[in-house]
Amino acid sequence: MNGSALRIRGLHKAFPKVIAVAGVDLEVAKGEVFGLLGPNGAGKTTTLEIIEGLTAADGGEIEILGLTWSRHGREIRSRIGVQLQSTSLFNKITPREALDLYGSYYPRCRPTSELLALVQLEEKADAHHITLSGGQQQRLALALALVNDPELVFLDEPTTGLDPQARRGLWDVVRGMKGEGRTVVLTTHYMDEAEALCDRLAIMDHGRVIATGTPASLIAELAIPSVVELTFNGSAPDPADFAARLGLAVEQRGDLWEIPTPDPKALLPRLLETAEAAVIPFQQVHIRRATLEDVFLHRTGRSLRE
Amino acid sequence: MMLWRQFVMEWRLYSRDRVALFWTMAFPVVLLLGFGSIFRDGASPRLSLVRVASLAPGPRDAALDAALGDLQLKVQVLPKAEAETRWSKGETAAQLEPDGDGYRLRLNSYLMAQAGATAGLVNQAWLVAQSRLSGAPEPRRVPTQVESPGRKRSANYAAFLLPGLLGLNLVSMGLFSVGMVNVSYREKGKFRRLAVTPLPKWIFLLGQVLHRLTVTVVQAAILLLVGQLVFGIQNQGSFLHLLLIMTLGTGCFMAFGFALSGFADTSEGYAAISNLVFFPLMMLSGVYFTLDTAPAWLQHTVALMPLAPFLRALRTVFNDGGSLAGHGAGLALVAAWGLAAFALALRRFRWA
Repeated sequence: MNGSALRIRGLHKAFPKVIAVAGVDLEVAKGEVFGLLGPNGAGKTTTLEIIEGLTAADGGEIEILGLTWSRHGREIRSRIGVQLQSTSLFNKITPREALDLYGSYYPRCRPTSELLALVQLEEKADAHHITLSGGQQQRLALALALVNDPELVFLDEPTTGLDPQARRGLWDVVRGMKGEGRTVVLTTHYMDEAEALCDRLAIMDHGRVIATGTPASLIAELAIPSVVELTFNGSAPDPADFAARLGLAVEQRGDLWEIPTPDPKALLPRLLETAEAAVIPFQQVHIRRATLEDVFLHRTGRSLRE
Repeated sequence: MMLWRQFVMEWRLYSRDRVALFWTMAFPVVLLLGFGSIFRDGASPRLSLVRVASLAPGPRDAALDAALGDLQLKVQVLPKAEAETRWSKGETAAQLEPDGDGYRLRLNSYLMAQAGATAGLVNQAWLVAQSRLSGAPEPRRVPTQVESPGRKRSANYAAFLLPGLLGLNLVSMGLFSVGMVNVSYREKGKFRRLAVTPLPKWIFLLGQVLHRLTVTVVQAAILLLVGQLVFGIQNQGSFLHLLLIMTLGTGCFMAFGFALSGFADTSEGYAAISNLVFFPLMMLSGVYFTLDTAPAWLQHTVALMPLAPFLRALRTVFNDGGSLAGHGAGLALVAAWGLAAFALALRRFRWA
């Protein structure tokens, strides 16, 4: 696992009304599962499409498997696998035909039956594409991304729109890719997905990478590994007064208050005492580990789902 | 090999699309049956004349009636009031009224093509009638013979129309079936998945051209079969030449569609662009009628367009059984248009 699968320097892309990518640097090592995490509109998909050769960048350098688009376009295309955010195929093509056809575009391809089994589409192998469910179409798109036995796989929001069970199934496929030594670059706006799958992450917002690292290191950098949550019966009251009494930052998020803390065990007695004294009508207290969601919130002041 | 797979897949997907099958295979046949039946009986529709009845018919009227009877003219005799009603409804092209010791003709300015021809015939009949009334010897007429330009046989309008329809099919297939499909596929993002594969654009485009080419051959075969079975129209020339011309034309108009599809971002935009090309091409290139009476500059312009020389070559072979010897320049023009359009298409073609 030496050398990098992908290296990007100073990537820029402006559309007529918005700057989509504003100077992105990334480096992905071979054999790594790398995630681009960020809210919708952060520039993840544009970044990925520039790397895949679908969109021309305004500036920046891209090196894929040591190759560049200007000189090795055809070779890059034959060594990467791509799942687009929405894969629109011809309505009346069947999964078996699609895998056969797309496989024929490459110098090396995997057997269709193996791919159908991998994404559990054997039963639907001969159904017209338009009759497949969203999840089945998504699985076919994933199989198509693997049709050429690629070294580097790009997955754009691979689990968006899938039910929880299908998501788990897809996670297993991604882990399988890593097991086979492939490099995977995926985008997601699900923090749990990023935590579960990715070796390393880049968090994106407004076209920039605002943090890079392993999920664990990103959370550790917060220095507040835990969050105490107070839930209310109905909407949460204004926490300003309570925060002043407690002497700690209290953030109101929807129906609950969040109090980030490095040491929940020490905080808890004081918290309950203060709540009692201030007659705070809370329902329950939860203590949870900090997540990537908190990392994003901390860095941008906004939630991932906004 | 790649090309072959692409070609086979195009056919497979096409054969599953019933709407496309109907429009390309059945619709031209419907068109031929419709037009062919309307004009089945003669080379031109029969002319008709409304004759206002004289209040007191004399020998002059009888002589004119006899002379009119010899002509290819449908005469309808009506009382004055009824004739006036018909005239005011705009249904009458030419109306003959008694006037003093002779007659007067009223011609409908909206229907001058028929009215003018009718006026000529009426005048001829009136001259003959006067000559007979004066006891002069029967006037002699110039003998006429109806023939197709290639002189092989006398063919009717349906036979003129069939090659026109074949050509029109190619144009509409190229502009609407190929161009429109490409724009809408691009709009829906169906090409993006292809764009990330190493499939070269030219293989994809050529696969489509070859598919449409074979579709056209099948379509032409169906039209020819129906033409023969229903109207007794036969290909008078060599089938090889026919295939050659059709192939050239298909390639040319497919390339037109591809090239135009590179200039539109949306289906709506493409509809406007393609109609802009399609209608002048159709109206001015001799699909339905010839352009002999058009101004010279228009004829010269049209002669530089690919459809007119294509149709001339097609009719020479199909209707007259002629050789392609005199059509080298015309067919070269078609080929040049095709190559230019394909080059433009490759330049403008975008996957996304």
